[in-house]
Amino acid sequence: MAEERIGSETVASAEKGKMTLFRDDRQEDWGAIILATLVVALIIVLTMK
Amino acid sequence: MSDAAVSGGGSGFLQKLPGAIPGLVLIVGTMVVIRYWIEPWMSSAVLFDQKGWLVKVVHLNYILLGIIFGMIYRNVIFGGKLPNLFVDGFRLSRLFIKTGIILLGSLYTVQAIVQLGAIAIFLIGGFVILSVVMVLWLGRLFSMDRSMTGVLANACSICGVSAAIATAPAVEAKPAHVAYAVATILGFGILTMFISPFIGHALDLTDLQYGAWVGTGILNSGQVLAASLAFNPNIAPGTAVSVAEIWNIMRVISIPFAVFAVTVWYWAGAQGNGGAERKTIGQLFVEKFPVFVLGFLVMVILTSIGAFGDVGMKGGPAASATIKMLRLWMTWIFGIGLVGLGGYIDVRELAQAGGTPLKVGLIVGVTKYVLALLVVLAIRDYLVAI
Repeated sequence: MAEERIGSETVASAEKGKMTLFRDDRQEDWGAIILATLVVALIIVLTMK
Repeated sequence: MSDAAVSGGGSGFLQKLPGAIPGLVLIVGTMVVIRYWIEPWMSSAVLFDQKGWLVKVVHLNYILLGIIFGMIYRNVIFGGKLPNLFVDGFRLSRLFIKTGIILLGSLYTVQAIVQLGAIAIFLIGGFVILSVVMVLWLGRLFSMDRSMTGVLANACSICGVSAAIATAPAVEAKPAHVAYAVATILGFGILTMFISPFIGHALDLTDLQYGAWVGTGILNSGQVLAASLAFNPNIAPGTAVSVAEIWNIMRVISIPFAVFAVTVWYWAGAQGNGGAERKTIGQLFVEKFPVFVLGFLVMVILTSIGAFGDVGMKGGPAASATIKMLRLWMTWIFGIGLVGLGGYIDVRELAQAGGTPLKVGLIVGVTKYVLALLVVLAIRDYLVAI
């Protein structure tokens, strides 16, 4: 039965939190914004003449 | 933003980060091997008397290979479960995919978003409503459990896993309902992720047509990204991924509204649903809105005002060094994210799909997939290139 299998850390998991190092989706979103900001800043510095 | 957003709450994202290094090294190392050794080999290898057969005929590229490697790690090499040493690194895969989508904002100007977005809203809105109505009707026809029907309706109509999980508390769904819904759409989604590029090339679809099709017809966000990059791994304005992601973002934004609609349907007909979370559309919007989309919009605005220099639109000046480097880094960020995503696909879990939910999910999934292709082909003259 499906009930016995859910809770694993795969894509089909009912507990999506197990797919991320963050506490939840919202915090992962903020993490992505921070990482994107860092990437953009680094690229701007690297391509600065 | 709170400190918790960075620290990841009580358990601490930054404290967990060192533990993610082995998994991250495996993922990045895999992508390095694929891009520096396997891809060049595939381009020059002669198979069936044709040089580069794997690339030209099978259309294998670093995106498809990345997902396949991730799946091989979990399902073959590690016997179905990632070892503890690597698991935290793979947990960063969605972070990379979301970061890549934010950076994709550098492919668009506000004008392009408005042009393409108008068609996307029309198509996405139509297909979301069609899918929800179809699942609710089929659920009734097959006497499917009402909670199961609610979860499956949003899983089939918006963006799969996220929508199923967001809907579950509002319709009193049990974990098994979510598992059935997710396994159903995941199995179908994996199939479409691998066959769509071949269909697209066989029908000689343009990037615009293909992006609009997979952005509408494929159920899950990660699979839309993978299918569009598998069709054309280039990241530039007008490529398949730039079109598909506009569609995908429109769909992701619609999560709170679809959760609200299905919740209202559930309240209207279910008996004894005192345990369901009754929330207003405003509460759902605040709780479920995917805030990384805001990062994407900020990138679009910065690109539109020329913060990164020329973007390299067709017929205009060449892309600036900043834009070129951004696009190169995006290919790596997506590649890393999709190896990680492959590592989260457990083929045994697809066996969870079954019975009536599978039947309903497949009917709706196939209908949506085929109908989206037909609609895109029918309106191809009205699709606006960006």
